[in-house]
Amino acid sequence: METKQFVIIGIAIALVIAVAAPFLASGNPDGLESAFFSIYDAKPFMGDELDEDAAGAAEEQVVAATGNDFSYEAFMPDYSIPGLDKTGEVLAVVLGTLLMLGLVYGVARIAARPDN
Amino acid sequence: MHIPDAFIPMGQALIYWVIALIFIVLALRWARRSMGEEKIPLVAVLAAGIFAIQALNIPIPWGTSGHMVGAALAAIVLGSPYAGVFVLTLVLLVQGIIFGDGGITVMGANIVNMGVIGGFVGYYGYAGIKGVIGNAYAAAFIAGWASLFISAILCAVELAIAGTFPLELGLTFMGTYHAIIGLIEGGITAVALYMIASARPDILERPAGVSA
Repeated sequence: METKQFVIIGIAIALVIAVAAPFLASGNPDGLESAFFSIYDAKPFMGDELDEDAAGAAEEQVVAATGNDFSYEAFMPDYSIPGLDKTGEVLAVVLGTLLMLGLVYGVARIAARPDN
Repeated sequence: MHIPDAFIPMGQALIYWVIALIFIVLALRWARRSMGEEKIPLVAVLAAGIFAIQALNIPIPWGTSGHMVGAALAAIVLGSPYAGVFVLTLVLLVQGIIFGDGGITVMGANIVNMGVIGGFVGYYGYAGIKGVIGNAYAAAFIAGWASLFISAILCAVELAIAGTFPLELGLTFMGTYHAIIGLIEGGITAVALYMIASARPDILERPAGVSA
């Protein structure tokens, strides 16, 4: 397979995953979040139920414990665009994927071993 | 496994940033020496694919989910643990700054856990296991699983030092969830390696069918 073909197929696969992800992705907390909620009594270790109030309290508790209250407003928080629902989520992941492609291409071009 | 800002005190977060920066410099030196220009499009496509698949959280038991990290795959395909550091640093940078996934002050810790541990365990795990069992895809599966599991264990230790998780509970919970999530990492690593090796066997630094 030629490089051009390989790259085009690779980009196509990445974009298909990007478009599908918001529809297929599980909204459950990830492993780290689940461990956090379980340790702070907001969710049983091996159970499904998340206590939203306890989860909120846990987040305040941890800020108080570490003293790290740094907060930052991301452009597309949690892979979404405020006010755009599912369309916004698809757009966010697709834009992120294209941004990765461009950014890594650019950085790799600067960082790579010159061949001449 | 993206640690948010609140989980680690600022001082400790800075130490992880220093460690991360050392590996980022080493990764840039690897790129200058070993990443040929013909690899540039592959690295970019791999990073885009890893970003997209990280957005795909797969449900696991106990109301929990997990997603692939991808450092092991990048390291195996590009033939260096530093490839994992290179790709994951840029993925985590975009995730943190644009999408608020993973903290800013703690990004160094996330780079160490997912990029450095993922890349090194993935690469050396793959090379070592392939040498013993001879099958590249089984080796990729096990190395992918181990890269995720060991990242999670280190994460639990960091959060114990931070005072966020008690050590024993943190290790138990993080270890249990990520032992399952590691199957996702291992599975996708093996399948993606197979697809890349089938399409472009020349791209792999060490051809997947030949033992090291």
